[in-house]
Amino acid sequence: MKEEKENNKLAKWLDGRMTDEELREFEALPGFETYNKIKAFSGALTAPDVDIDTLYQNVTRHKNRKSSVRKLNPWFAKIAATLLLTLGLTYFFYTTHTTNTVAETGARTEFLLPDHSSIVLNAGSEAEYRTWNWDNNRIVELNGEAYFKVAKGKKFDVVTPLGTVTVVGTQFNVKARGNRFDVTCFEGKVMVNSNGEEIMLTPGQSVSFEDGKNIIVPLEEAKQPGWITYEVAFHSEKLTNVIAEMERQYGLTISLPEDVYSPFSGALPMNDLDTALDNITSIYHLKAKRTGDRIVLTSE
Amino acid sequence: MKKNSLSGICEEITFSNFFKDHVKSLRNYLFYKFGNEEQADDVTQEAFIKLWQNCADVPPEKAKSFLYTVANNTSLNHIAHQKVVLQYAKRNTHVHTDEQNPEFLMEEEQFKVKLQKAIAGLTEAQRTAFLLHRIDGKKYHEIAEILGISIKAVEKRIHGALVELRKEIENMR
Repeated sequence: MKEEKENNKLAKWLDGRMTDEELREFEALPGFETYNKIKAFSGALTAPDVDIDTLYQNVTRHKNRKSSVRKLNPWFAKIAATLLLTLGLTYFFYTTHTTNTVAETGARTEFLLPDHSSIVLNAGSEAEYRTWNWDNNRIVELNGEAYFKVAKGKKFDVVTPLGTVTVVGTQFNVKARGNRFDVTCFEGKVMVNSNGEEIMLTPGQSVSFEDGKNIIVPLEEAKQPGWITYEVAFHSEKLTNVIAEMERQYGLTISLPEDVYSPFSGALPMNDLDTALDNITSIYHLKAKRTGDRIVLTSE
Repeated sequence: MKKNSLSGICEEITFSNFFKDHVKSLRNYLFYKFGNEEQADDVTQEAFIKLWQNCADVPPEKAKSFLYTVANNTSLNHIAHQKVVLQYAKRNTHVHTDEQNPEFLMEEEQFKVKLQKAIAGLTEAQRTAFLLHRIDGKKYHEIAEILGISIKAVEKRIHGALVELRKEIENMR
């Protein structure tokens, strides 16, 4: 307690807050003389001068430089990063983005490629291509059948699971169904590559592969594939393939009794089910019974 | 400081005035702390730079405490400190001007040297508080604000400093 009071005393004295009585008491103490000298001489002490102007200049100079580095940088970096990311993503999506066109069974789709080449997709077919850099990279992946009217330009490839067709400014039909691969050229030149075999087609010529084997097909006299006008010509086609084509075109299910049938050659209308069915049933001696979307063929 | 409070210390004139008002105290305080002018100047600069960089977030009435807080935090990195070297003002070095006999003057000079040595030997806490009062004429409550301690603690440090100084000086005799 006494110590505490003593503590306050010296600080109080230095601050000039002692009462007269306290002061008299303190002055009588042996240490007073030294304390008084300390007070007097310490009051005459000075710290080294401050060069205020230089300090201020340094502060303002640093302030401008540092703030420009510290505040502008993240702002700039953020924008730059966002831009880069956006660009990168856009580029990625743009280059890898594919356009997919599908023709459902019983329907067909006609569409234009970026160079205005036109493609007619036959029923139950699918075409996929990239719009990016199309003019230098004209590739269409095809699953099914399509008729191409290709605009003039560089190489044009149709890639199917059964082979690749390469063309230069031409009109041609490609059909890749199951194990059957047919290409018919209507104008210009077509290069067909299947199973490592390269065949050049000129207008009117066709090439067909059944299970990878080349089948001789007569010259095509028409100016465009028959299916475009709903008249499909078959050449030594398996009856199952013919039936499958009819299913796609009419959007029906057709069941055929298990049997050995001779290949079908001839034309079938694809917009007149009764006539087409009549043709098939009269040639193969079958009977047709229709219930809704289902047709059952039975032996006569 | 009270005017211009709308635009705050971001206003160059406000900042400039604030700087002039406080630069000397801050620099001296740091000098008592480090005993090194260069370090004191550096930290002073740094504290004011930080203040200006954050001027938008620091209201004028908080500027002073912000300044000393930054200075104290920055000081943590400046561990090594040197002996504080102080000068006596050229004028008014004599306590008793009426007793200027040579013997007395010599004794006085001796005392001054002893006092300087004793001050250099104080702890940092005692020295800063004591010198802020003696040289900068800071009131105890101002010192408390600068050091971030209570007035009572300031008085304790001042008292401790005086006791220590007397002891040192008398031991040197």
